[in-house]
Amino acid sequence: MTAIQPAGGGGGGVSGGPSSSSLADVIDTILDKGLVIDAYVRVSLVGIELLTIDARVVVASVDTYLRFAEAVNRLEIGSGEPKGLTDLVGDVTEGGAKSKTKGALESAGEKLGDILGGGQEEPERERVSRKSTRGDK
Amino acid sequence: MSTSNQSTDAPDEPRTSGVYVYGIVPADVEAEEDAVGVCDGPVSTVKHGDIAALVSEISVDRPLGKPEDLRTHAHVLDGTSRVAPVLPLRFGAVMTDEDAVAEELLAAHAEEFAAALEELEGRAQYVVKGRYVEEAILREIIEENEQASKLLGTIRDQPEETTRDARMALGEIVGNAIEAKRDEDTRKVVEALDSLSDSVNVREPTHEEEAAQVAVLVEVARQEELEKAVGELAEQWDGRVDMRLLGPLAAYDFVVTQKPEG
Repeated sequence: MTAIQPAGGGGGGVSGGPSSSSLADVIDTILDKGLVIDAYVRVSLVGIELLTIDARVVVASVDTYLRFAEAVNRLEIGSGEPKGLTDLVGDVTEGGAKSKTKGALESAGEKLGDILGGGQEEPERERVSRKSTRGDK
Repeated sequence: MSTSNQSTDAPDEPRTSGVYVYGIVPADVEAEEDAVGVCDGPVSTVKHGDIAALVSEISVDRPLGKPEDLRTHAHVLDGTSRVAPVLPLRFGAVMTDEDAVAEELLAAHAEEFAAALEELEGRAQYVVKGRYVEEAILREIIEENEQASKLLGTIRDQPEETTRDARMALGEIVGNAIEAKRDEDTRKVVEALDSLSDSVNVREPTHEEEAAQVAVLVEVARQEELEKAVGELAEQWDGRVDMRLLGPLAAYDFVVTQKPEG
Protein backbone atom coordinates (compact mmCIF):
# COMPACT_ATOMS: atom_id res chain seq x y z
CA MET A 1 0.00 0.00 0.00
CA THR A 2 1.32 3.34 -0.90
CA ALA A 3 1.40 5.92 1.82
CA ILE A 4 0.68 9.52 1.07
CA GLN A 5 2.29 11.51 3.77
CA PRO A 6 2.28 15.24 3.78
CA ALA A 7 5.60 16.36 5.11
CA GLY A 8 3.91 18.90 7.27
CA GLY A 9 2.88 16.24 9.75
CA GLY A 10 0.79 17.20 12.70
CA GLY A 11 -2.25 15.30 11.57
CA GLY A 12 -4.70 15.76 8.77
CA GLY A 13 -2.78 13.54 6.42
CA VAL A 14 -3.99 10.52 4.54
CA SER A 15 -3.48 7.62 6.93
CA GLY A 16 -0.11 7.07 8.45
CA GLY A 17 1.56 9.19 11.03
CA PRO A 18 3.46 12.39 10.71
CA SER A 19 6.26 12.38 8.21
CA SER A 20 8.92 14.69 7.04
CA SER A 21 11.04 15.22 4.01
CA SER A 22 14.07 12.99 3.81
CA LEU A 23 17.47 14.57 3.49
CA ALA A 24 17.40 13.74 -0.21
CA ASP A 25 14.07 15.56 -0.54
CA VAL A 26 15.52 18.58 1.21
CA ILE A 27 18.58 18.60 -1.01
CA ASP A 28 16.42 18.34 -4.11
CA THR A 29 14.73 21.50 -2.99
CA ILE A 30 16.82 23.99 -1.09
CA LEU A 31 20.20 23.94 -2.76
CA ASP A 32 19.31 25.19 -6.18
CA LYS A 33 15.91 26.77 -5.68
CA GLY A 34 14.76 29.85 -3.81
CA LEU A 35 15.71 33.48 -3.96
CA VAL A 36 19.35 34.16 -4.47
CA ILE A 37 20.32 36.82 -2.09
CA ASP A 38 23.55 37.91 -3.68
CA ALA A 39 21.73 39.10 -6.73
CA TYR A 40 20.28 41.71 -4.40
CA VAL A 41 23.01 42.57 -2.02
CA ARG A 42 26.56 41.81 -1.20
CA VAL A 43 26.59 38.80 1.03
CA SER A 44 28.84 35.95 1.63
CA LEU A 45 28.08 32.33 1.15
CA VAL A 46 29.79 30.81 4.07
CA GLY A 47 31.87 27.78 3.35
CA ILE A 48 29.43 25.95 1.16
CA GLU A 49 30.65 23.73 -1.57
CA LEU A 50 28.20 24.82 -4.22
CA LEU A 51 30.03 22.61 -6.66
CA THR A 52 28.24 19.61 -5.26
CA ILE A 53 24.99 20.78 -6.80
CA ASP A 54 26.27 20.40 -10.30
CA ALA A 55 26.89 16.76 -9.64
CA ARG A 56 23.15 16.11 -9.60
CA VAL A 57 22.90 14.62 -13.04
CA VAL A 58 25.45 11.96 -13.44
CA VAL A 59 26.22 10.72 -16.88
CA ALA A 60 26.19 7.06 -16.21
CA SER A 61 26.22 4.38 -18.79
CA VAL A 62 28.07 1.16 -18.48
CA ASP A 63 27.49 0.76 -14.78
CA THR A 64 23.86 1.72 -14.94
CA TYR A 65 23.18 -0.52 -17.89
CA LEU A 66 24.93 -3.46 -16.32
CA ARG A 67 23.01 -2.89 -13.13
CA PHE A 68 19.71 -2.81 -14.98
CA ALA A 69 20.65 -5.98 -16.85
CA GLU A 70 21.53 -7.76 -13.64
CA ALA A 71 18.27 -6.63 -12.05
CA VAL A 72 16.36 -8.01 -15.02
CA ASN A 73 18.37 -11.19 -14.85
CA ARG A 74 17.26 -11.71 -11.27
CA LEU A 75 13.59 -11.44 -12.14
CA GLU A 76 11.60 -14.60 -11.87
CA ILE A 77 9.97 -14.81 -15.23
CA GLY A 78 7.46 -17.62 -15.16
CA SER A 79 6.55 -18.42 -18.72
CA GLY A 80 8.25 -17.86 -22.01
CA GLU A 81 11.10 -20.03 -23.16
CA PRO A 82 14.45 -18.47 -23.47
CA LYS A 83 15.39 -18.12 -27.06
CA GLY A 84 18.44 -19.81 -28.50
CA LEU A 85 21.60 -17.87 -28.82
CA THR A 86 21.61 -18.04 -32.59
CA ASP A 87 18.54 -15.84 -32.87
CA LEU A 88 20.27 -13.06 -31.17
CA VAL A 89 23.66 -12.55 -32.63
CA GLY A 90 22.51 -9.64 -34.75
CA ASP A 91 20.92 -7.82 -31.88
CA VAL A 92 23.80 -8.39 -29.60
CA THR A 93 26.39 -6.93 -31.90
CA GLU A 94 24.22 -4.02 -32.73
CA GLY A 95 23.50 -3.34 -29.10
CA GLY A 96 27.10 -3.65 -28.12
CA ALA A 97 28.24 -1.33 -30.82
CA LYS A 98 25.99 1.51 -29.86
CA SER A 99 26.54 1.44 -26.17
CA LYS A 100 27.08 5.13 -26.05
CA THR A 101 26.75 7.10 -22.91
CA LYS A 102 23.28 8.30 -22.37
CA GLY A 103 21.63 10.47 -19.83
CA ALA A 104 21.16 8.04 -17.07
CA LEU A 105 20.58 9.64 -13.78
CA GLU A 106 21.71 9.17 -10.34
CA SER A 107 20.55 10.79 -7.21
CA ALA A 108 23.18 13.21 -6.12
CA GLY A 109 20.93 13.95 -3.22
CA GLU A 110 21.04 10.45 -1.91
CA LYS A 111 24.72 10.18 -2.54
CA LEU A 112 25.36 13.38 -0.69
CA GLY A 113 23.15 12.03 2.04
CA ASP A 114 25.34 8.97 2.30
CA ILE A 115 28.48 11.00 2.40
CA LEU A 116 27.12 13.29 5.01
CA GLY A 117 25.86 10.33 6.96
CA GLY A 118 22.25 11.48 6.86
CA GLY A 119 20.81 10.43 10.14
CA GLN A 120 17.30 9.96 11.35
CA GLU A 121 14.62 12.47 10.70
CA GLU A 122 13.68 14.76 13.48
CA PRO A 123 10.00 15.42 13.88
CA GLU A 124 8.78 18.44 12.09
CA ARG A 125 7.30 21.24 14.10
CA GLU A 126 6.25 24.71 13.55
CA ARG A 127 8.95 27.24 14.06
CA VAL A 128 6.93 30.34 13.78
CA SER A 129 3.45 31.49 14.46
CA ARG A 130 1.47 34.27 13.05
CA LYS A 131 0.14 36.92 15.32
CA SER A 132 -2.67 37.94 13.10
CA THR A 133 -4.01 37.49 9.69
CA ARG A 134 -3.26 40.20 7.28
CA GLY A 135 -5.11 43.39 7.06
CA ASP A 136 -5.60 44.31 10.70
CA LYS A 137 -2.57 46.38 11.29
CA MET B 1 15.12 44.73 15.01
CA SER B 2 17.22 47.12 13.12
CA THR B 3 18.02 49.29 16.07
CA SER B 4 21.24 47.58 17.00
CA ASN B 5 24.57 49.32 17.06
CA GLN B 6 25.69 50.86 13.88
CA SER B 7 28.03 48.37 12.27
CA THR B 8 31.56 49.56 12.62
CA ASP B 9 33.14 48.22 9.51
CA ALA B 10 36.58 47.65 10.86
CA PRO B 11 38.32 46.12 7.89
CA ASP B 12 41.25 44.77 9.82
CA GLU B 13 39.19 42.86 12.33
CA PRO B 14 37.78 39.64 10.92
CA ARG B 15 34.08 39.22 11.53
CA THR B 16 33.10 36.22 13.60
CA SER B 17 29.35 36.32 13.44
CA GLY B 18 26.78 36.91 10.75
CA VAL B 19 23.04 36.82 10.25
CA TYR B 20 21.65 33.81 8.46
CA VAL B 21 18.54 34.64 6.43
CA TYR B 22 15.87 31.99 5.80
CA GLY B 23 13.23 33.91 3.96
CA ILE B 24 10.91 36.88 3.73
CA VAL B 25 7.55 36.96 5.51
CA PRO B 26 4.81 39.46 6.33
CA ALA B 27 5.73 41.59 9.35
CA ASP B 28 3.02 40.05 11.52
CA VAL B 29 4.83 36.72 11.59
CA GLU B 30 6.61 35.95 14.85
CA ALA B 31 9.15 33.23 15.49
CA GLU B 32 8.26 30.73 18.20
CA GLU B 33 10.32 31.27 21.31
CA ASP B 34 11.92 27.85 21.09
CA ALA B 35 12.50 27.88 17.35
CA VAL B 36 16.11 26.92 16.76
CA GLY B 37 17.96 27.83 13.62
CA VAL B 38 21.12 26.85 11.84
CA CYS B 39 23.99 26.79 14.37
CA ASP B 40 21.48 26.48 17.21
CA GLY B 41 20.81 30.20 17.33
CA PRO B 42 17.25 31.25 18.15
CA VAL B 43 15.15 32.24 15.13
CA SER B 44 13.90 35.81 15.16
CA THR B 45 12.62 38.39 12.72
CA VAL B 46 14.02 41.61 11.36
CA LYS B 47 11.20 43.95 10.37
CA HIS B 48 10.85 46.68 7.87
CA GLY B 49 7.38 48.13 7.35
CA ASP B 50 5.01 45.39 6.26
CA ILE B 51 7.65 42.78 5.67
CA ALA B 52 10.20 40.93 7.75
CA ALA B 53 13.06 38.50 7.34
CA LEU B 54 13.35 35.26 9.30
CA VAL B 55 16.89 35.19 10.63
CA SER B 56 19.20 33.69 13.21
CA GLU B 57 22.69 34.58 14.28
CA ILE B 58 25.48 32.28 13.21
CA SER B 59 29.15 32.08 13.71
CA VAL B 60 30.94 32.41 10.41
CA ASP B 61 34.01 30.44 11.31
CA ARG B 62 32.06 27.21 11.13
CA PRO B 63 31.35 25.88 7.63
CA LEU B 64 27.70 25.47 6.76
CA GLY B 65 26.22 22.53 4.93
CA LYS B 66 25.87 19.68 7.38
CA PRO B 67 22.71 17.60 7.11
CA GLU B 68 21.26 19.32 10.19
CA ASP B 69 21.91 22.71 8.62
CA LEU B 70 20.02 21.75 5.48
CA ARG B 71 17.15 20.27 7.45
CA THR B 72 16.95 23.24 9.76
CA HIS B 73 16.77 25.64 6.85
CA ALA B 74 13.94 23.61 5.34
CA HIS B 75 12.11 23.13 8.64
CA VAL B 76 12.09 26.81 9.52
CA LEU B 77 10.70 27.69 6.10
CA ASP B 78 8.28 24.79 5.69
CA GLY B 79 6.91 25.27 9.20
CA THR B 80 6.30 28.90 8.32
CA SER B 81 4.59 28.04 5.05
CA ARG B 82 1.76 26.41 6.98
CA VAL B 83 0.81 29.61 8.75
CA ALA B 84 1.96 32.40 6.49
CA PRO B 85 3.26 33.11 3.02
CA VAL B 86 7.05 32.97 2.86
CA LEU B 87 9.59 33.73 0.16
CA PRO B 88 12.38 31.22 0.73
CA LEU B 89 15.99 32.11 0.17
CA ARG B 90 18.30 29.56 -1.29
CA PHE B 91 20.30 27.73 1.37
CA GLY B 92 23.33 29.56 2.66
CA ALA B 93 22.46 33.25 2.62
CA VAL B 94 24.34 35.15 5.29
CA MET B 95 24.49 38.89 5.80
CA THR B 96 26.79 40.91 7.98
CA ASP B 97 24.28 42.06 10.57
CA GLU B 98 20.62 42.88 11.16
CA ASP B 99 21.02 46.40 9.85
CA ALA B 100 22.20 45.00 6.57
CA VAL B 101 19.17 42.72 6.45
CA ALA B 102 16.80 45.61 7.14
CA GLU B 103 18.41 48.09 4.81
CA GLU B 104 20.04 46.22 1.98
CA LEU B 105 17.61 43.34 1.69
CA LEU B 106 14.21 44.46 2.99
CA ALA B 107 14.15 48.22 2.42
CA ALA B 108 15.77 47.95 -0.96
CA HIS B 109 13.16 45.50 -2.28
CA ALA B 110 10.18 46.18 -0.06
CA GLU B 111 7.69 46.58 -2.85
CA GLU B 112 8.46 43.49 -4.84
CA PHE B 113 8.68 41.34 -1.72
CA ALA B 114 5.36 42.66 -0.46
CA ALA B 115 3.74 42.04 -3.83
CA ALA B 116 5.12 38.50 -4.01
CA LEU B 117 3.90 37.75 -0.48
CA GLU B 118 0.49 39.08 -1.37
CA GLU B 119 0.38 36.70 -4.29
CA LEU B 120 1.41 33.75 -2.14
CA GLU B 121 -1.12 34.45 0.60
CA GLY B 122 -2.98 31.26 1.44
CA ARG B 123 -0.91 29.10 -0.85
CA ALA B 124 2.03 26.77 -0.34
CA GLN B 125 4.17 24.48 -2.41
CA TYR B 126 3.70 20.74 -2.52
CA VAL B 127 5.93 18.23 -4.24
CA VAL B 128 4.63 15.02 -5.77
CA LYS B 129 7.27 12.35 -6.12
CA GLY B 130 6.92 8.95 -7.71
CA ARG B 131 9.53 6.21 -7.74
CA TYR B 132 9.16 3.07 -9.80
CA VAL B 133 9.05 -0.22 -7.98
CA GLU B 134 12.03 -1.80 -9.67
CA GLU B 135 10.78 -5.32 -10.09
CA ALA B 136 7.41 -4.24 -11.39
CA ILE B 137 8.75 -1.78 -13.91
CA LEU B 138 11.37 -4.19 -15.20
CA ARG B 139 8.73 -6.85 -15.71
CA GLU B 140 6.59 -4.38 -17.57
CA ILE B 141 9.47 -3.49 -19.86
CA ILE B 142 10.42 -7.09 -20.55
CA GLU B 143 6.82 -7.92 -21.36
CA GLU B 144 6.44 -4.98 -23.69
CA ASN B 145 9.75 -5.21 -25.45
CA GLU B 146 10.49 -8.29 -27.46
CA GLN B 147 14.11 -7.43 -27.99
CA ALA B 148 14.60 -7.01 -24.28
CA SER B 149 13.08 -10.36 -23.51
CA LYS B 150 15.28 -11.99 -26.15
CA LEU B 151 18.33 -10.43 -24.58
CA LEU B 152 17.21 -11.64 -21.20
CA GLY B 153 17.15 -15.14 -22.67
CA THR B 154 20.71 -14.64 -23.79
CA ILE B 155 22.10 -13.65 -20.43
CA ARG B 156 20.00 -15.99 -18.31
CA ASP B 157 22.21 -18.36 -16.38
CA GLN B 158 25.27 -17.22 -18.29
CA PRO B 159 28.35 -15.83 -16.64
CA GLU B 160 28.65 -12.08 -16.74
CA GLU B 161 32.00 -12.12 -18.52
CA THR B 162 30.68 -13.88 -21.60
CA THR B 163 27.48 -11.88 -21.95
CA ARG B 164 28.71 -8.37 -21.45
CA ASP B 165 27.54 -7.05 -24.81
CA ALA B 166 24.08 -8.50 -24.37
CA ARG B 167 23.90 -7.07 -20.89
CA MET B 168 24.89 -3.66 -22.13
CA ALA B 169 22.27 -3.79 -24.86
CA LEU B 170 19.60 -4.95 -22.45
CA GLY B 171 20.51 -2.30 -19.93
CA GLU B 172 20.32 0.40 -22.54
CA ILE B 173 16.88 -0.72 -23.65
CA VAL B 174 15.73 -0.69 -20.03
CA GLY B 175 17.20 2.76 -19.46
CA ASN B 176 15.51 4.19 -22.53
CA ALA B 177 12.21 2.50 -21.69
CA ILE B 178 12.22 3.97 -18.20
CA GLU B 179 12.88 7.39 -19.62
CA ALA B 180 9.90 7.07 -21.95
CA LYS B 181 7.68 5.82 -19.14
CA ARG B 182 8.82 8.68 -16.90
CA ASP B 183 7.79 11.21 -19.54
CA GLU B 184 4.40 9.60 -19.89
CA ASP B 185 3.79 9.18 -16.15
CA THR B 186 4.97 12.70 -15.39
CA ARG B 187 2.44 13.93 -17.92
CA LYS B 188 -0.26 12.00 -16.07
CA VAL B 189 0.76 13.52 -12.74
CA VAL B 190 0.62 17.01 -14.20
CA GLU B 191 -2.79 16.24 -15.68
CA ALA B 192 -4.07 15.02 -12.31
CA LEU B 193 -2.97 18.29 -10.69
CA ASP B 194 -4.35 20.46 -13.40
CA SER B 195 -7.57 21.45 -11.68
CA LEU B 196 -5.79 22.32 -8.43
CA SER B 197 -3.15 24.69 -9.62
CA ASP B 198 -1.98 26.72 -12.53
CA SER B 199 1.53 26.91 -11.12
CA VAL B 200 3.27 23.65 -11.87
CA ASN B 201 6.98 22.98 -12.12
CA VAL B 202 8.15 19.68 -13.56
CA ARG B 203 11.51 19.02 -11.95
CA GLU B 204 14.41 17.24 -13.54
CA PRO B 205 14.63 13.65 -12.35
CA THR B 206 17.14 13.05 -9.58
CA HIS B 207 17.04 9.29 -9.58
CA GLU B 208 17.29 6.81 -12.43
CA GLU B 209 14.10 5.04 -11.44
CA GLU B 210 12.11 8.17 -10.77
CA ALA B 211 8.62 8.16 -12.25
CA ALA B 212 7.81 11.82 -11.65
CA GLN B 213 8.84 14.83 -9.61
CA VAL B 214 6.45 17.72 -9.83
CA ALA B 215 6.13 20.84 -7.66
CA VAL B 216 2.82 22.66 -7.45
CA LEU B 217 1.58 25.80 -5.77
CA VAL B 218 -1.77 25.00 -4.14
CA GLU B 219 -4.06 26.76 -1.71
CA VAL B 220 -3.40 25.27 1.70
CA ALA B 221 -7.16 25.03 2.15
CA ARG B 222 -7.28 22.61 -0.78
CA GLN B 223 -4.67 20.23 0.59
CA GLU B 224 -7.28 17.53 1.07
CA GLU B 225 -8.25 17.68 -2.59
CA LEU B 226 -4.59 17.44 -3.49
CA GLU B 227 -4.14 14.41 -1.25
CA LYS B 228 -7.13 12.83 -2.92
CA ALA B 229 -5.81 13.46 -6.42
CA VAL B 230 -2.41 12.03 -5.57
CA GLY B 231 -4.04 9.20 -3.65
CA GLU B 232 -5.99 8.20 -6.73
CA LEU B 233 -2.83 8.02 -8.77
CA ALA B 234 -1.15 6.04 -6.02
CA GLU B 235 -4.01 3.58 -6.06
CA GLN B 236 -3.98 3.29 -9.81
CA TRP B 237 -0.23 2.66 -9.75
CA ASP B 238 -0.21 0.53 -6.62
CA GLY B 239 2.73 -1.86 -6.72
CA ARG B 240 4.19 -0.10 -9.74
CA VAL B 241 5.04 3.39 -8.50
CA ASP B 242 5.57 4.50 -4.91
CA MET B 243 3.95 7.89 -4.67
CA ARG B 244 4.74 10.50 -2.05
CA LEU B 245 3.35 13.92 -1.37
CA LEU B 246 5.54 16.43 0.43
CA GLY B 247 4.16 19.61 1.86
CA PRO B 248 3.15 22.18 2.68
CA LEU B 249 6.56 23.59 1.84
CA ALA B 250 7.82 27.08 1.18
CA ALA B 251 7.47 28.02 -2.48
CA TYR B 252 11.05 27.24 -3.44
CA ASP B 253 10.20 26.38 -7.03
CA PHE B 254 8.11 29.47 -7.63
CA VAL B 255 10.16 32.36 -6.40
CA VAL B 256 12.35 33.94 -8.98
CA THR B 257 15.18 36.32 -8.43
CA GLN B 258 15.02 39.13 -10.87
CA LYS B 259 18.24 40.46 -12.19
CA PRO B 260 19.12 43.77 -10.65
CA GLU B 261 18.58 46.60 -13.04
CA GLY B 262 21.46 48.21 -14.80
